[in-house]
Amino acid sequence: MSETLQRRLEILAYATFIAVILILPAFADIFWLNRFAKYLVYGMLGIAIAMSWGYSGILNLGQGLFFGAGAYMLAMSLKLASPTSLAQGSDTPVPDFMLWNAEPGAPTDLCCITGGSWLWMPFQWVGFGAFMGIALPVLLAFTIGTVIFRQRISGVFVAIITLATVLLVRLLVIDLQPITNGFNGLTDLAWLTIGGFEFDPYLLATYYLIAGILIAVLIGARLLVATRAGLVLQAIRDDSNRARYLGFDVPKYQTFFFAVSAGIAGLAGMLYVIVAEFASPTFMDLTFSITMVVWAAVGGRNSLLGACIGAILINTIEASISETEMFVEAWKAIIGLIFVLVVLFLPRGLAGFAQDASAWVVGRLNRGEGSPASAVGQTRNQAAE
Amino acid sequence: MVDILFIGLSLGSILLLIALGLSITYGAMGVINMAHGELVMIGAYTAVLAGIYLGANIFVAMPLAFVATALLGWLIEAVVVRRLYGRLLDTLLATWGVAILIQQAVRLELGLTFFGIQIPGLGPGLQNVSVPEILSGTVAIFGEEVNAYRTFIIFVTIVLTVLTWWILYRTPIGTQVRAIIRNPQMAAACGIDVKRVNAMTFAYGSGLAGVAGVMMSGFKTVFPDMGTPMVVDGFLVVVVGGVGSLLGTVAAAGLLGEINGVFASVTNDILARAVVFATVILILILKPAGLFSFKGR
Repeated sequence: MSETLQRRLEILAYATFIAVILILPAFADIFWLNRFAKYLVYGMLGIAIAMSWGYSGILNLGQGLFFGAGAYMLAMSLKLASPTSLAQGSDTPVPDFMLWNAEPGAPTDLCCITGGSWLWMPFQWVGFGAFMGIALPVLLAFTIGTVIFRQRISGVFVAIITLATVLLVRLLVIDLQPITNGFNGLTDLAWLTIGGFEFDPYLLATYYLIAGILIAVLIGARLLVATRAGLVLQAIRDDSNRARYLGFDVPKYQTFFFAVSAGIAGLAGMLYVIVAEFASPTFMDLTFSITMVVWAAVGGRNSLLGACIGAILINTIEASISETEMFVEAWKAIIGLIFVLVVLFLPRGLAGFAQDASAWVVGRLNRGEGSPASAVGQTRNQAAE
Repeated sequence: MVDILFIGLSLGSILLLIALGLSITYGAMGVINMAHGELVMIGAYTAVLAGIYLGANIFVAMPLAFVATALLGWLIEAVVVRRLYGRLLDTLLATWGVAILIQQAVRLELGLTFFGIQIPGLGPGLQNVSVPEILSGTVAIFGEEVNAYRTFIIFVTIVLTVLTWWILYRTPIGTQVRAIIRNPQMAAACGIDVKRVNAMTFAYGSGLAGVAGVMMSGFKTVFPDMGTPMVVDGFLVVVVGGVGSLLGTVAAAGLLGEINGVFASVTNDILARAVVFATVILILILKPAGLFSFKGR
């Protein structure tokens, strides 16, 4: 009885969240919506973290790698589509920064303007950039995951390897100045155009594009973790040895969900490029990757919706207190304080708090039956440590 | 060739200096202290402030920084870390929050800007500490002229490493710390006051970070954000070396420092760092528990 009530409450929470982000445009101006669209993208990153950390027990301190990979892939296509790239006096578009980095007398063409610039050629078709925005993160995650999970590396060592990987790639992107524009990243991008329709970042349609994809990802991810594979995954998280003895191919499940999480992050990276109109190596800074993990921790790592809301909430709070006169200098310290307090006193995040609260209410309604949902939550939390 | 190896050695000793404190707190207590880099930063600022207010050089700043950061570390342990034992990844997140707090506190001059008070030397700007006369210039070692300050850093690192080794392996408190590394429950059952020893370990590790900070201030700009790259480097050294192994930490710091030094001389600094990260990934894939690790922890 109480189980079904819990389930209904969860569905209610999802429905409320979806309704809120769909209705928001009625109450806000377009500039605010553009900013909020970025937070929705961060919410998608929260989902990706919850999937790899909360559901798989894989703490990825390098999620920025997948976000950055997705962002750069689409940004390369949008860069080639931008007016400045088209106006370089050659038959094919050439990014302006390549001319600045080129040897004098090099042909103004993607084939050979700088070493490796031919890598950009397929990106002249936006569809290729959009495809690679998901394919590359998934491929990277599949490779990394296959290697580390076959070696039975777990816990903090996964965190270190992913952390070192993202920093490694960030340095390579910076060092490959002639084809990536180094520190400056890709700016001056065109708007995404699908079938003649331009997704101007300050357009209601763009907000709905992002909100719609977020909702689809949220529901898809929720359904995925409820499948048999998702249940096996949680069993692996709780006790990987037991799952191994039961005959499950543990690395296969871990790699699969790691790759799904990377794909979501790559998708988020592409959407970020559409609303923010740039891609830069800061996406692969360590600070950004850890910040994502903290969003998920605050929202609730064991809940996809919780982590998503956590990311949106923290960024909204951050934006509003950084604009409050009194806290204009101290807002970062306040965010730091929130992190510490949540980890100390709400180890399962806001979602865990909400689950406990609802379990308590349900328990009160079915007096005498206890609150099984809360007990399940407790063991889950301990196992995730 | 000798000069390249020497640069690698000095890079390695800086890594070791940062990693030493991180290693004993992670090894002994199972705490990943992401605020360690900020403690290094506090140590560097101690040198800056000691120079401005006391006219003191880095020799005086070293003990001051040790005391200041040890006290701060003790406070962090008592307020935050103590509540998180046994929750390894949560210590990482919580101390990351602490790191942000410390960074912003220094940037905001410990909140005094709210009251309109200015402290020269603190705040968001860049600071420099000058190296004492005796350590500037070069000294001759094995017939090669080498940078005197780098030699001094190597010397300080050796002294601190030997001191740490001596405390860990030759004193009663060190025996207790090693017992806790092996098995905290059993140590507690044998009558060791785990909480007290942990607090002392954390304070000592933090103090080492402070000394590292003073050393850094001699050749790097001091600013509020300087800590984050350092904690990453220190952390990589600790994990590559093997958790709880002093020997492993020394070996990993030397290895990564030399790799960095050698590749920086043939390519550039950015690629050298990339090679270091690649090495770390490779080592962890081949030896997931680090180079030197004990069994049965």
